[in-house]
Amino acid sequence: MTTAGEEFIRRMAAGDRDAFGHFYDRYAPLVFPLILRIVRDRTDAADVLQDVFWEAWQGASGYDSARGTPEAWMITRARTRAIDRIRAVRRRSETFVPPVDEGLAPAPPEPGGDAAERAEDRGVIRKALNELPHAQREVIELAYYAGLTQTEISARLQQPLGTVKTRIRLGLERLRDVVRRAT
Amino acid sequence: MNGHETYETLAAVYAVGALDGDDLAQFEAHLAEGCQPCATGLRESRETLARLALTDTRAVPPAEVKSALMARIGRAPRATARASRTGWLTWVAATAAVVALAAMLTSGIVASRYEARLGQMAREMAGERERLQREEAALRSQVVALELLRDPATRVVELRSPSGSNAIARVIWNDKAGGHLVVANLPPAPEGKAYELWALGGAQPRPAGLFQVDASGHVAQKVDAGGEPPKGFAVTLEPATGVPAPTGPIVMASK
Repeated sequence: MTTAGEEFIRRMAAGDRDAFGHFYDRYAPLVFPLILRIVRDRTDAADVLQDVFWEAWQGASGYDSARGTPEAWMITRARTRAIDRIRAVRRRSETFVPPVDEGLAPAPPEPGGDAAERAEDRGVIRKALNELPHAQREVIELAYYAGLTQTEISARLQQPLGTVKTRIRLGLERLRDVVRRAT
Repeated sequence: MNGHETYETLAAVYAVGALDGDDLAQFEAHLAEGCQPCATGLRESRETLARLALTDTRAVPPAEVKSALMARIGRAPRATARASRTGWLTWVAATAAVVALAAMLTSGIVASRYEARLGQMAREMAGERERLQREEAALRSQVVALELLRDPATRVVELRSPSGSNAIARVIWNDKAGGHLVVANLPPAPEGKAYELWALGGAQPRPAGLFQVDASGHVAQKVDAGGEPPKGFAVTLEPATGVPAPTGPIVMASK
């Protein structure tokens, strides 16, 4: 069965600009909060958002539904581009690394409206993240949202590399279990 | 931790985008080999992280991004699937070529550095071997001299400089076994010249060996037996190739 997202991407690959408009309307609200959370600056986030959708338009024919949903496709791309952006900033400043505490900020209150259909699902996953042992949640946040590599996390937390890897694995396994049960 | 558990850990770190260094190369090679459990696990992890990311809904994207994008795609024709894939492949091929070239250069530099070091070690070894061979030869000749001295038939003939210099030579001689020459305080022979030892006592002096001394004026060397039992010995300065009969001045002689 083809989802609406997959259908948009298929039409985009054929050069359908209307499909791209719909695709944007559907996915921009999903990926923009992630980009903003990573880059922290609204102007930078808007730049990254534009790059991410431009790449999606350019690379629509490369989408393979066997390798992931359109959400994962866009989120992975958005996360990668956002991390690229902060790494470039970090290279220029050589100092900027978001503090752990900010990365661990509590989840915002759930909005209503068009997001309502996902609200229950979101609640479950957000709860799972919040319930992870602090040490596991910390390494996942530092990797996924702050863009630190395992070596950087190890140095930053002053923990052995093996410990960092294991924490990431255990944390991610637990989150996967929750998602598996919720679907 | 068993072999594949290691990859499962690497897969998790890869999914959150934190794998680096050798681990990254190792895991990507493993994925490229077509490991299905890892590919599936990675997909699941990415879906999970995507859903986690989707829980964040605070921010609304700026409206101008969409209008900018729509204008952009209206202007520029999008690359076709074929072109973009070819471009991607070209990029991959070019990257692979650069990586391979870098690896070759790196290994070439490393190899040449090691070759240089190995060459130096080989030269040092060869020098050391030559030194050992020289010392072993010297030791052997000393042992031969000592053996000779143990024989009651052996005599020691002393040679002195007629000019009264402190140069001295001794020939440890045994009529059956031959002898051994040791020299001290003799200045090195001039360029193109050598010292020649003569066994005296027959009708003619018998040539008993050419020799050179080291920088400190010393030498020790074996003297072959042969001919009439000598009554004495003499050393002359001769052309470096040696002569059958003495032509140069007598440097040292026995009484």
